[in-house]
Amino acid sequence: MALVSLGDMAQTFLMRRQTVDTKVALQQHLTEVTTGQAADLTRQVRGDHSALNGIDASLTRLQGYASVTAEVGLMAQATQTALGTVNDLAADLAPMLLSAASPGNGTQLNATASEAGQSFATAVSTLNARIGDRSLFAGQATQGRALVDADAILSALQTAISGLVTVQDVATAVTTWFADPAGYAAVAYRGAGSLAPLDLADGEQAQVGVTAMDPAIRNTLTGFAMAALLDRGVFAGVPAARAQLADRAGQMLLSGQADRTQMAADLGVVEAQIGSASTRNMAETSALGIARLAIVSVDPYEAATRLQETQTQLETLYTLTARLSRLSLVDFLR
Amino acid sequence: MSITATLSSALSGLTAVSRMAEVVSSNVANAMTPGYGQRDVELAARRVGPSGQGVDVVGVTRTVNQILLSDRRVADAGAAEQDTRQAFFAALEQTLGTGDTPGSLTNRIGALDAALVSATGRPESQARLTAVVDAARGLTNALSSAATAVQTARAEADRKIGIDVEQMNTALTQIADLNGQIRAQSGNGRDPSALMDQRQKLVDSVASIIPLREVSREHGQIALFSTGGAVLLEGRPATFGFTPTGLVTEDMTMAGGALSGLTLNGQPLATGVQGGLIAGGRLAANFALRDDIAPNAQIQLDAVARDLVTRFQDPMVDPSLLPGDAGLFTDMGAAFLPVNEAGLAQRLRLNAAVDPAQGGAVWRIRDGISAAAPGNAGNSGLLSALQTALTDRRPVASGIFLPGSRSVAGLASDLVSEIASARLTAQSDATFATTRAEALRVSELEQGVDTDREMQILLQIEQAYAANARVIQTVDTLMKTLLEM
Repeated sequence: MALVSLGDMAQTFLMRRQTVDTKVALQQHLTEVTTGQAADLTRQVRGDHSALNGIDASLTRLQGYASVTAEVGLMAQATQTALGTVNDLAADLAPMLLSAASPGNGTQLNATASEAGQSFATAVSTLNARIGDRSLFAGQATQGRALVDADAILSALQTAISGLVTVQDVATAVTTWFADPAGYAAVAYRGAGSLAPLDLADGEQAQVGVTAMDPAIRNTLTGFAMAALLDRGVFAGVPAARAQLADRAGQMLLSGQADRTQMAADLGVVEAQIGSASTRNMAETSALGIARLAIVSVDPYEAATRLQETQTQLETLYTLTARLSRLSLVDFLR
Repeated sequence: MSITATLSSALSGLTAVSRMAEVVSSNVANAMTPGYGQRDVELAARRVGPSGQGVDVVGVTRTVNQILLSDRRVADAGAAEQDTRQAFFAALEQTLGTGDTPGSLTNRIGALDAALVSATGRPESQARLTAVVDAARGLTNALSSAATAVQTARAEADRKIGIDVEQMNTALTQIADLNGQIRAQSGNGRDPSALMDQRQKLVDSVASIIPLREVSREHGQIALFSTGGAVLLEGRPATFGFTPTGLVTEDMTMAGGALSGLTLNGQPLATGVQGGLIAGGRLAANFALRDDIAPNAQIQLDAVARDLVTRFQDPMVDPSLLPGDAGLFTDMGAAFLPVNEAGLAQRLRLNAAVDPAQGGAVWRIRDGISAAAPGNAGNSGLLSALQTALTDRRPVASGIFLPGSRSVAGLASDLVSEIASARLTAQSDATFATTRAEALRVSELEQGVDTDREMQILLQIEQAYAANARVIQTVDTLMKTLLEM
């Protein structure tokens, strides 16, 4: 069809539409250049968000794991330090007890007994250690203390051994009290069962399960308590019996050394596990971060080029609009 | 008598030229008027006896390309239909949110997951437990606001149908009225172009609601048929019936009788997925949205809500719960029963027992929803179990999902992807339809008033007027010469 005329509105409409289209494109490219990310994420992932959402879910969960590993790591470290303190106390006291137990060392024995009383009290308060408000050796009852104080334990023990006359009987009674569910567990231990294993990373668990009920700790406390009882005047006036009890206490602390070391080593393994889990989580976080960027980001060079292109296009449109609006026969009819 | 004839011819020329000037002025004045058909004066040589006797204005023609107009109307209807769909999916996508939106559904699930993991590290921390409860509340809000948006979209569609039907009925009546006036005008030999412009605008307004074809009838009248085949106007206008409902909730359907259907002259009209007789326009799109697309989205949201609720009300996860007890997420405070699935997403609430805002206590998230008293502060067992329940992959019990096992996050991600890709498809359809409609509109506008052309005609008019006046002057001189003899 031969056009005899071209409606005015056609041109204005076309210009207006193209200006709007170009401005929308400009807006989109501007967003992409400034944020470095696709303006329409759905278009970027072609409607399938599952990969991106999977990465986001993992990244968020890794933040959770990061706080867990940091806290559990700190707790394991503090527990390890406390165990070291108790072990040092035992290692110091044991030779003193053994040497004081040799015949004719009555004065030294008294001094050592007093030292043992001190050590027992220190050991108990070490086991009551807290980090923040969280008890380390009370298991799941993290808000209370792990043990009653040393005096209360010794008083309970004195009741348990009252009336006993032989060293053998006293030593057995003390050992039994520490093993008896109605003894140490009921009277001295204020905590609960050990902490549950925690997820440190996807599919990896670790447990800081040391409590004051641990056999190695109980054995050590038994040794300390036997010696501390001397300080409380057990077998007063019977130097031979006191020496024998000191000897047994010394032996007990010495023989517990292996168990204590084992416990520290086990905890060390957990600490190492926490450390490596934390490192792996960090590596995973950065790997996922990179993968996420690869999905959402746009090539900055391309985005900038497109922005430049759109800008030129819009400028051209403006120039054309200005030119075309001057092109009217009316202006030339004078 | 040839001098008088000359004078008469010149006069007819002046009249014709004045008429042309009038039409040009009308064209120029309406250069910006939408729906204005450009007018042209049709001239013919007047014949009286054997010789010519000046010029005659035969009439004024209104230039409209019917084929182009008709195509543009169908394209407009298509664009309106696709726009309606695209707007729904875009709004729903925005409410659900994608990975880059803070507070999106998937991000909230992730936040709950992370909060549970953090809480296992320090179960005695009130801040950590509160963070879990807050994240869980955020998740219920995200799901219920999405479901509310779906129902609001249905109510909006219902309202728009009401408006469209009313507008269409009015327009059809007015068109019928104008048909009558045009018939009378052309019968009287007057120019009905202005009425035709008005009628074309009215037909355009109906055309985006229902795509239609215009058929010419005698004396400039028209009949209208929808492209689906319904008679909209044939002498008498058709009357559509519809009652808007106002508040639309998830349990209200057209099949159930709670929502109004469409009637044509009192007869019910099918508005199914294919659209029936009214297929293709905004009206059909709104019906599809109200009765099909939005309810499907609700089903999917309910399925996600059900999956979430079921995972947490399992006594295997939280041993403090008895079978039949509500878990961390509840159906309006009560335990969820599969028969109540419809609308669960709206009714999803956080269990009051853990929510301090509802008189609960956060330690129950650690010690069990139904626990009577706080337990050991360091107990992380339940928190771990909850986290496992959230991330465990399980088969989906309901909804329209591909078979397979998913975590809550995976299921939500599938839902978001489904909505998002529906939006992409709708958007590209809408872009296509709009581009087509705009291209046709440009072609239509090209037929409109061209002021340059009008100015050229105006120049001709000026010359012709001057020439005719000159003829009269000459005749005058001739007459004077005769009289002075």
